[in-house]
Amino acid sequence: MTVAPGKRRRSSRYETTAAWLFVAPWVVKLVLLTVLPLIATVALGFMTMPVTGMPRWAGLANYEQMMADPAFRRSAQNSLTFALASVPLRLLIALGLALLLHRTRAFSGFYQTIFYLPFLMPAVAASIVFILLLTPGAGPVNVILQTFGLNPPDWLRDPRAALWTLVLISLWPLGVETLVFLSGLQNIPKDVQEAAELDSDRPWHRLVWITIPLITPMILFNLVIGIISSFQIFTQALVIGGPSGQPAESTLMYMVVIYRTAFRYFNLGYAAALSTVLFLGVLVVTLLIFSTARSWVHYEGGDQR
Amino acid sequence: MNIQRLPLRRRSFLQGSAALFGASALPSRLMAQNGGPITLWTPGGSELMCEIHIDIVNEVVALGGQVTNGDVVCGFGPGQDYTQRLFGAIAAGQVPDVSILWDSPVSLGVQGAFIPLDEYMQQFPGLAVENWPGGLLASCQFQGRTYGLPVVAGVYSMWYNPEMFEERGISSAREDFPKTWDELRRISKEFTRWDGDTLLTGGFVPPRSAPTLPIWAALNGGRIFNADEARYEIDSEQNNEMFNFWVEWMDEEYRGDLNLVDRSANFSSGYVNYDLGTGSGFREGRAAVVHDGSWLMGDYWQEPEPTFLNWDLAAHPVGPSGTATVSGIWPNWAVIPVGARNPEGAAAYLDYLSTVGVVDWYRQIPDVPTNTLVEAEPPTVVVEQRGEDFARDVTEFLQEQAGIVTPMWHSPVEAFAQDQLTLAIQKIFTKTAPIAEALADAQSASQAELERVLRQ
Amino acid sequence: MTDLAGPRDGADPPAAAARRRRGKRRQGTVVGTILSHALMLSIAAIFMLPFYWMVISAFKANNEIFTATITWFPDPIRWENVPALFNRPDFPFLRQFGNSVFYAGMVTIGTVLSCSIAAYAFACLRWKGRDLVFGLTIATLLIPAIVLFLPTYIVFARVGLVGTYWPLIAPAFLGDAFFIFMLRQFFLGIPRELIDAARLDGASEFRIFWQIVLPQAQTALVVVALFTIVYTWHEFFGPLIYLIDRNDFPLSLGLYAFRTQRAVEWSMTMMGSFFTALPLVVLFLFTRRLFHEGLATSSLK
Repeated sequence: MTVAPGKRRRSSRYETTAAWLFVAPWVVKLVLLTVLPLIATVALGFMTMPVTGMPRWAGLANYEQMMADPAFRRSAQNSLTFALASVPLRLLIALGLALLLHRTRAFSGFYQTIFYLPFLMPAVAASIVFILLLTPGAGPVNVILQTFGLNPPDWLRDPRAALWTLVLISLWPLGVETLVFLSGLQNIPKDVQEAAELDSDRPWHRLVWITIPLITPMILFNLVIGIISSFQIFTQALVIGGPSGQPAESTLMYMVVIYRTAFRYFNLGYAAALSTVLFLGVLVVTLLIFSTARSWVHYEGGDQR
Repeated sequence: MNIQRLPLRRRSFLQGSAALFGASALPSRLMAQNGGPITLWTPGGSELMCEIHIDIVNEVVALGGQVTNGDVVCGFGPGQDYTQRLFGAIAAGQVPDVSILWDSPVSLGVQGAFIPLDEYMQQFPGLAVENWPGGLLASCQFQGRTYGLPVVAGVYSMWYNPEMFEERGISSAREDFPKTWDELRRISKEFTRWDGDTLLTGGFVPPRSAPTLPIWAALNGGRIFNADEARYEIDSEQNNEMFNFWVEWMDEEYRGDLNLVDRSANFSSGYVNYDLGTGSGFREGRAAVVHDGSWLMGDYWQEPEPTFLNWDLAAHPVGPSGTATVSGIWPNWAVIPVGARNPEGAAAYLDYLSTVGVVDWYRQIPDVPTNTLVEAEPPTVVVEQRGEDFARDVTEFLQEQAGIVTPMWHSPVEAFAQDQLTLAIQKIFTKTAPIAEALADAQSASQAELERVLRQ
Repeated sequence: MTDLAGPRDGADPPAAAARRRRGKRRQGTVVGTILSHALMLSIAAIFMLPFYWMVISAFKANNEIFTATITWFPDPIRWENVPALFNRPDFPFLRQFGNSVFYAGMVTIGTVLSCSIAAYAFACLRWKGRDLVFGLTIATLLIPAIVLFLPTYIVFARVGLVGTYWPLIAPAFLGDAFFIFMLRQFFLGIPRELIDAARLDGASEFRIFWQIVLPQAQTALVVVALFTIVYTWHEFFGPLIYLIDRNDFPLSLGLYAFRTQRAVEWSMTMMGSFFTALPLVVLFLFTRRLFHEGLATSSLK
């Protein structure tokens, strides 16, 4: 953004006025539908809110309830487990698929399309399909596994298996991550690749020391987006586990608890307190990632921002 | 496609065409002046259900009086999703004048979402307290206020297969049906046939559904919720005994794993198992006894077509600590939300619905009329399939059962407690927690939530 | 995983050594290609299995879906399930399809308009407070939607907009942080000279935006539109909370409502799922390159 000064700008006041006009709608949303609701949620967490009528101050009651609430602990634990298992697995598989796609030249578009398609399936539909696929007995997944001599668990009904089944299902729609990685790979300059080939004859070595560092911005992007969205897994959990996270709360996700607290138990104040905690949790995790990002994310050109 | 939701009228109303059905039983207050339109919402169900409601609304309109026009909106979504929508509508102040509710009227009622109906019950003779069976009315009440009216009820009873009974040399007469859980368990064993891990035929499988648990608790002399003292009693001695009885039963007869039973067929109700895709053991003539509600009469001959046809109904047997049989319900109740524009008209409509309209309703969809002024006519489908006598007989039986319903669905935290009970039941039957512990957890969580709501 | 970069024609010759290695590897390539395609195809098969199962289940009768032995192909193929889907009073599919088109269309128009003007201000104008507002914009990406949802819901409910599409559509006309960010990245790539020349000619900022920047960013706008369509088509939580009447539901919610009410009808549910996903799949097949290009440009330099 360096153009010779002097001839490029009219008065900066004009430009500022124009700019504020351009961002006005967004700023309205930022204030009215983001900042104020955020403050309101935090405030509502200290209140009780009846179905009709005005909210009343409740002090720390909602947070005291949270400390004593087994569903809070259970769902936080479930959501954390889900995120910790799902996000790295998704990144690894997406990266693997991108690497494979990158070196496949024939039919690459065909494969890309297939890997991308699951993303286009609405989560409700996908969850229903997986319920069918994972039917015990003669369900297709079990039949396939049994031909390989494997003994599949009762995917959706065994309390020890159900959460992992949700993780497994989350590995299906990987299209966006894969394409992000792929575009990262394709953006690696040719000279770098040639130099890399010169440098090392071992492909794994090249992958770990050259390719991956070059796509760390994409890894960061997918990691942050992945974590934020995995904490918010809702549709799949609701369709598969219902509001009580069946079987035996093993699929009870944090978002489902917020939903049922607000719209099933009609306890908006407590739901707001739960949301506040979710916000803080996500904030802490992303800040942690960003604070470490400087040490492992390699930006091309260095000073872009 | 208009962004502003237009009032949705499912059908144009055939004004005046409604037969003046039972004009003699015309509730007097309907003739009062100062009318207005009413809006009715129902949680869905079939198209037939909508038509029935539209017809009843039209009949009321045709009578003149407080209801000058009617609008029926049906099919929002089932059960809990509907309640959530109604909750949103009440918070938004865009409410219907009458809503059918397949859920507890007390939970939203104590939060001030429904108009207490006690005054209208004094005003309209059809709605008077003495016209309702005590247990049913208690199911809509909390701390002296009535938040909904049990105009019809899905009444639970024991459904059994007389043919299977006869084959085993057991009397198939209704009055000879087992009177105690012990007896039921004893005859149940007669039917149990395994083929490998598949249950070919079976007797009765211990119940596992949270909403019906209050029935079983009452049959064992216990209770889930004590409304008078605003106290949950989930971990009472009787309830512990009940679950011990069932788990022992499961271990003895079903190899300690009800998953095996569920994968063989649905042995727990008269329907297919939606999640597992297994057929209805009862309709296939493989389950000798299941626990289900009166609505099954309407669905029985529909998909999947039954191979076994001649079912009969019997009263619930009594548990080891119980003394008398009781019955139970799935709610199918009417409420007037706060913010209704024509509550008077709504009450007048309920008066007509409870005493006259439900006759038609029951004939087409067998939700049992509960008001004692009603002379029910048997459901058409049962008459067609099983004959007039049998249809009258089960109608009488079900109305009698409606008279001995134990109070249920009457907690201010019904949904919360049911989720807790669901969890406890799953833990108990999968043996992931000891019975006493699972019940104690559900008890303390439900009680804490109850106290929180009552404090507000 | 042998040849990561792949042999390239016309690469500038950094060294003969590289070529030598490539030559050495050449015999392996045929076998390697076959192997790698075999690998890709088996992975592709795994990814396609749910689609396949959805489609064949849609063409079975309900009692043919759960069987004691697996059936990999419906026999007979029940074509009558297709018209059945469109003629159900309890699943107003066409109406809900129309709702989805309307919902996705409105949100897309709103998002493209509002995000592009905001992105212009962030990318092409200099103003006091820009970095602060932009920083805030990025920060909002980290706020889970539910956190902002409850108070918004209460307000929309109290002003009587529950049961309408207003709470679902109106906010889109004010912008979306992610797409503003994405478009800003695009706009930054537009040659400065064009904009500066127009400024020298005395063009208003709006004219520059409308006549110079937008035409340059057509691809980007299409990409934003495509993503918005996909996300809105999938949107579940908002409609679940805000909409009341089944006739107003978009498909994603209609499907859920149908399933919870008619759980036994698996084949209808699958047929509904198939036709819910189909428009997006068709859209994607025609615009795959644009999707890819959009991701390539947006993925965070």
